Amino acid sequence: MFSTSTQRKFWTFSDETELARLREKHNLQYISKHGSNTDEYQPYNIFLSPEEEGLLLKQYELHMKEFCKRFSPPMPKGVVGTAFHYFKRFYLYNSTMDYHPKEILATCVYLACKVEEFNVSIGQFVANIKGDREKASDIILNNELLLMQQLNYHLTIHNPFRPVEGFLIDIKTRCTLPNPERLRSGIDEFLEKVFLTDACLLYAPSQIALAAVLHSASKEQENLDSYVTEILFIDAGPDKLAILIEAVRKIRSLVKMVENPVRERVKIIEKKLDRCRNQENNPDSEIYKRRMRETLDEDDMPYSGTSRMSLDTSGVTQVLSPSAS
Amino acid sequence: MDDQACPRCKTTKYRNPSLKLMVNVCGHTLCESCVDLLFLKGSGSCPECNVPLRRSNFRVQMFEDPMVEKEIDIRKRVLKDYNKKEEDFETLREYNDYLEEIETIIFNLTNNIDVVNTNKRIEQYKKDNREIIMKNKVKIGQEELELEEILEIEKQMEELRRTEVVRLELEAKKQKIREKEALIDELMFADGDAKEILNTFAQNVASKQEEAVPPLPLVTQFSTGVKFTCGSAQSHLPVIEEGPLYRYEPPITPDRIGPDPPTIEEIINEGYLQHVKAENDTEKAGGYTSTLPCLRALQDALAGLYHTS
Repeated sequence: MFSTSTQRKFWTFSDETELARLREKHNLQYISKHGSNTDEYQPYNIFLSPEEEGLLLKQYELHMKEFCKRFSPPMPKGVVGTAFHYFKRFYLYNSTMDYHPKEILATCVYLACKVEEFNVSIGQFVANIKGDREKASDIILNNELLLMQQLNYHLTIHNPFRPVEGFLIDIKTRCTLPNPERLRSGIDEFLEKVFLTDACLLYAPSQIALAAVLHSASKEQENLDSYVTEILFIDAGPDKLAILIEAVRKIRSLVKMVENPVRERVKIIEKKLDRCRNQENNPDSEIYKRRMRETLDEDDMPYSGTSRMSLDTSGVTQVLSPSAS
Repeated sequence: MDDQACPRCKTTKYRNPSLKLMVNVCGHTLCESCVDLLFLKGSGSCPECNVPLRRSNFRVQMFEDPMVEKEIDIRKRVLKDYNKKEEDFETLREYNDYLEEIETIIFNLTNNIDVVNTNKRIEQYKKDNREIIMKNKVKIGQEELELEEILEIEKQMEELRRTEVVRLELEAKKQKIREKEALIDELMFADGDAKEILNTFAQNVASKQEEAVPPLPLVTQFSTGVKFTCGSAQSHLPVIEEGPLYRYEPPITPDRIGPDPPTIEEIINEGYLQHVKAENDTEKAGGYTSTLPCLRALQDALAGLYHTS
């Protein structure tokens, strides 16, 4: 149940400024750690600004959406939703400069497949990735434990998909709306866009689902306001209704504001990122390769399997608690 | 008792209080020192009847009349072979005849009447009844073993009870001493009236005595919980102690922060099920019904609607 979940307790925030503050904090943390010999007054000549990081993440969220569509048999919506949750949560407490989003993206999807019981082996999984598949599977397996640690092992995600089904059943049963099934296409479209916003870090899944249903209804020129006020919230006070109306309004406006980042802008950012990213976590860098060799040498052959894990988690110096910040 | 005397050295109990008279199968007595003297080699003949005897067969005379001892010996030997029981005979009459025969044989042997013929009779009987004799020997052996076991256990229980009593007594004594010391301490250091202190202590002691020592558990069981009178009709069932009965308390449902979802009855009765995929026969066989998934969807839809952060 959402009300008692870690999702509500640790991963649902009060408003967007809180999210922005968290992201800026970890951006600055990275710069202060790695930018000792740069111009103090204009660090963003070299490093990414929080705004640039945001744009980059938006772009990679689009990539993630495309990537998830590549699977055959098609991936259930719940897996995609869970992967989006993981991705957003990870970059609340980490900078894109520390861990490259393209690596975390694949790891998030892989972990979501496991958690949501969509059975894909690592071999089948990397078959959907362009480029060097062996390297990709290495990266994913290396990052998997890191990702779980950064999520504080809060792996259960409450997605808005089942609440949507619940609302449709309830509307069919208690409401006179003709043919509610026609709302579905609008709902799906809305939910797809919702995951490109921060709504899932701010609102309950049922609120998002209701927003989707109401949005789709208004698109079909139907009005479900009476369903909400006279059936759903009949026993609740007006204060609670006000909260819900505000939440729905906010979610809809968030979705409305979704726009794809400009291609050229993102390309520039990616180039900048290549220069300022943490080379210790870049699998192509000399530092990374040397460290890999060292750990392999240190551990004897029987441990070579686990050396991979110890290698990557060694880069994580602090265990983050979302409640602590 | 005074006229007990060794027929050979004429020592009497009066002159030698530690005199021990011994007797052998022939029924003639000798004192311990004479036995030591005459049977140095381990065997020899009786000084009175010249019957060859073994020293190991001498034992302490229990009855005043040595003839009784002789009879006991002979009876033991005869009964080893004549070990038939009442069950082995068809009628009571036959059994009684058999007992009569045993007594005759024993009497003859004890009083040296027709010894040769009697011995022949025994031999003949042994030959005729070898199987029954062997069978009964085994049976008797088992019975004796059981009896011995029971005796042994009884002895152990008795021992346990004794140590328990001793322990309790010791404890009581210690308790008394402690109470006395406490009283003296109180009298020495307390500010209250001495008489009052004495009174309260006396009361305390009285109330304690009322509590009394719990009665010792009756020794009626083996340590395994089997009664002494095992095999008797009343079988012993162990009494199981019952704790307080379990009371079911429904789990506390956490706050849903949303409107209440319908109950299962409402889902079934108010038409919710028309709008979910009904379970097919295969699913039903596995125990699946569409009610619970429907309930879950509704619960998920309504939970968290009041959420604010």
